[in-house]
Amino acid sequence: METFLQLVITGILVGSIYALVALGWTIIYKCSGVLNLAMGELTLLGAYVCLAFYTWGFPFPVALLATLIVGFVLGLLTERLFLRRMIGQPILAVIMITAGLSFFFRAVVGFIWGTDTRVFTPPVFPTEPVRLGKMVMGQVYIWSFLAALVLLLVFVGFFQYSRWGLSMQAAADDEMAALSLGVSVKRVYALAWAIAFMAAGVGGTLLGNINGLNISVGYLGILVLPAVVLGGLNSVPGAIVGGITIGILQNLSGGYLEQLTPGGVKDIAPFVFMVIIMLFRPYGLWGWEKIERV
Amino acid sequence: MLKINNIEVLYHEVILALKAVSLEVPAGEVVALLGANGAGKSTTLKAISGLLRHENGKVAEGSIEFLGERIDRKSAEEIARMGIIQVIEGRRVFEHLTVEQNLKVGAHLGGNGAMVRNGLEAVYHYFPRLQERRNVVAGMGLAPLLIKEIFEIITRLHQEQGIAILLVEQNAKLALAVARHAYVLEGGRVVMDGPSEQLRENPDIRDFYLGLTDLGARKSFRAVKHYKRRKRWIT
Ligand SMILES: Nc1ncnc2c1ncn2[C@@H]1O[C@H](COP(=O)(O)OP(=O)(O)O)[C@@H](O)[C@H]1O
Ligand SMILES: [Mg+2]
Repeated sequence: METFLQLVITGILVGSIYALVALGWTIIYKCSGVLNLAMGELTLLGAYVCLAFYTWGFPFPVALLATLIVGFVLGLLTERLFLRRMIGQPILAVIMITAGLSFFFRAVVGFIWGTDTRVFTPPVFPTEPVRLGKMVMGQVYIWSFLAALVLLLVFVGFFQYSRWGLSMQAAADDEMAALSLGVSVKRVYALAWAIAFMAAGVGGTLLGNINGLNISVGYLGILVLPAVVLGGLNSVPGAIVGGITIGILQNLSGGYLEQLTPGGVKDIAPFVFMVIIMLFRPYGLWGWEKIERV
Repeated sequence: MLKINNIEVLYHEVILALKAVSLEVPAGEVVALLGANGAGKSTTLKAISGLLRHENGKVAEGSIEFLGERIDRKSAEEIARMGIIQVIEGRRVFEHLTVEQNLKVGAHLGGNGAMVRNGLEAVYHYFPRLQERRNVVAGMGLAPLLIKEIFEIITRLHQEQGIAILLVEQNAKLALAVARHAYVLEGGRVVMDGPSEQLRENPDIRDFYLGLTDLGARKSFRAVKHYKRRKRWIT
């Protein structure tokens, strides 16, 4: 029982990081209908940027804040340079652009930071584990969870209450109607990319703190895909619940099935789950079909 | 105040939807735009609001002026900011937002917080039922207004707020009752225009748009269709 509880709780803690990255996927899909295949590279880029600030001697919270700012600017820039000219082009062409971006960003990261695994030194969070009854929890998980939670709340608040958050939701629901009310759809796209960069950057940083940072952190982008699909590609709450569900699932399958099979179950389980969900709910748990109206 | 001068509108660079259309909406007046399906009414509105570009259409010839300024090259956002809002047809709400969030999307055009609040208050004044349902998700449980209620509100908005309105409505009888002046579009051209009272008495309008014969009886749809094929409007 303790093992089970421990696995579930760790799953939730890690899942909150997935939720952050899943939110990045969702916001771009929701606002522009594009599946961003460069999502994993956005997490990489953000993680290395944060590592760079940290290595230069900035305290971690400052480094994280700087990562958010850099992410915001890079997001606007990426949209402006690569995606703006694709507005109105077939969606598949835009998705191919994001595939190109993924190779591009990966090369940039490799060029600047190399391929060796790096760690945040000195460790950002105390390495002393915390004991909760019989459970033992690394502090890095708890702090990461809190950081992810705060950022998720900020994003949700932004979508629900701010002028631009509402504009983004409006454009996602009915682009033509949003345009008729003076919403700048270009700005909505740009903001979606900025938010995706910020969320992914922090997600990558937190994961890099847990596992060390190398190019494989970029797989986070694909790893959270089941979370996104599970929640429904265009639902923000769906992405969050999906991320946490995938975290739990991954931990449980790692804890119970790993002994029985020659490894890899942990990574495959979320995808198996995704396929099963899609058989029954093609739009995920909270997603909806976008109906084009003329 | 709003002036369309001889515009020609193309969709996808080739489909000619409007030819030499001119019309005018004076400050504070209600003007109606009549015409059969496919005549070009929606296209005219989209040309004004700038939404045309979103459907790969453009004003290829002529110009559109608002308060003396050319707006046919401006973006939908700039035009909305200048004070021209196209109410697009159909029951279009942002269905995943609440009623109040829906209203805020539009109210934000005003800019600062005080103007957003004033805008919301004004809407609740005209639509008291919405205030009760402000936190309801708009995709559920919002009934459309009856056409009669819509016309009452249009009339009040026009009388109390002095808002100028270019009205497109299938129901020509109601539209002519509210508007002072009307234009008739057919096949992308303005084929007739004049004060509403005059158009109401025009035998062609009575026949085709009001569906009345001289006896005041409704003509059958088939007869009207036939009529349309036989006779073209002459300016
Ligand atoms: N998005 C579009 N692309 C191509 N042609 C269009 C488009 N919208 C309208 N049209 C054409 O323009 C003409 C006028 O249409 P419209 O303005 O919608 O008429 P109305 O609103 O009076 O029914 C029609 O022939 C229609 O087929
Ligand atoms: Mg129409």
